[in-house]
Amino acid sequence: MEQLTNLIISDRELATISAVLMKLMNDTNATSAMLLDKSGQVVAVQGNETRRNATTLGALLAGVFSSSREVAKLLNEKDFRNIFQQGVQESIYTSMVEEQWLLVIIFDKFTHIGLVKVLSKKASDELGRILERVRSDTTRTKSSVLNLQFRSSVEDTIDLLFRD
Amino acid sequence: MALINIATHEIHCKIVYYGIGYCGKTTNLHHVHRSINPNARGEMLSIATETERTLFFDFLPLDLGTVHGFRTRFHLYTVPGQILYERTRLAVLNGADGIVFVADSQAEKFEENIQSIAELEMNMRRIGKDMMSFPLVMQWNKRDMPNALPVPVLERYLNRRRVPSFEAVAANGLGVFATLRAISKNVMAQL
Repeated sequence: MEQLTNLIISDRELATISAVLMKLMNDTNATSAMLLDKSGQVVAVQGNETRRNATTLGALLAGVFSSSREVAKLLNEKDFRNIFQQGVQESIYTSMVEEQWLLVIIFDKFTHIGLVKVLSKKASDELGRILERVRSDTTRTKSSVLNLQFRSSVEDTIDLLFRD
Repeated sequence: MALINIATHEIHCKIVYYGIGYCGKTTNLHHVHRSINPNARGEMLSIATETERTLFFDFLPLDLGTVHGFRTRFHLYTVPGQILYERTRLAVLNGADGIVFVADSQAEKFEENIQSIAELEMNMRRIGKDMMSFPLVMQWNKRDMPNALPVPVLERYLNRRRVPSFEAVAANGLGVFATLRAISKNVMAQL
């Protein structure tokens, strides 16, 4: 597969992703659901509490996941597919989608972890199929978004903002 | 890998500051956090030990605002510099779009710098990135130290790819934004 330098998420794909997250949240009665890129960037988020801290949560959760993969390698495991962080009130279940994305569910003590695991797996499979479409669309859509005007404007903004 | 969200009109890029312990990676981020327009930055997050050494990473989200309809964001990370955290550095590198290699210019740090850049090259291979074409800039930090090596020496041994390099004294902000401008433009050019 061609090594992509970016992923482009279209309106249609984001709507589908959001619907998958919303369904997962409703079916498990979770407080929120997020889809992260493994670099820590937030692709989509459902749930108001989480939305406020999404950027920081994204960086931290992706960091935790990435760190656990290194632990796995030290144990001669390929990777750990899931991470469960259990709190008194709130818990987090994170699972990997096709080596690229992380599906995160945040839920309280009234939700059973078994249900979260099963339904996360189902949602991950669906998200995996969306990721495939995103990957193939990315190469096509790239030039229409990142045109010359955009590139030159972004350079001007960088000069303006990042100065002593 | 940068994320371009057409639906929400957002572009996110990840930049990682890499280098040996005490070379000034966190200091770079502190200066950016202190000096940039507060509307253009989020909260800086540091996962540090009790003695304020970076344990996992520092994180500073920057927001360029809306450019041609796209809200462009850079997420700056640092890695922990101490040798024992090699695996943690690899974890933070995951998904990076650009790297700033911060070198401590002092003569007694020369060998450590060499080892660190070799480790970076190896880590890039591990995550499947081609170091020869990946967005990278060098920062020669601590230029104010009396035992700082001449820049041509640093260039010869640490910058074999001849990528853009900047002299810096990050503690008082010198060269910090020049470095950030260069890596940001480099990352955008490669998207």
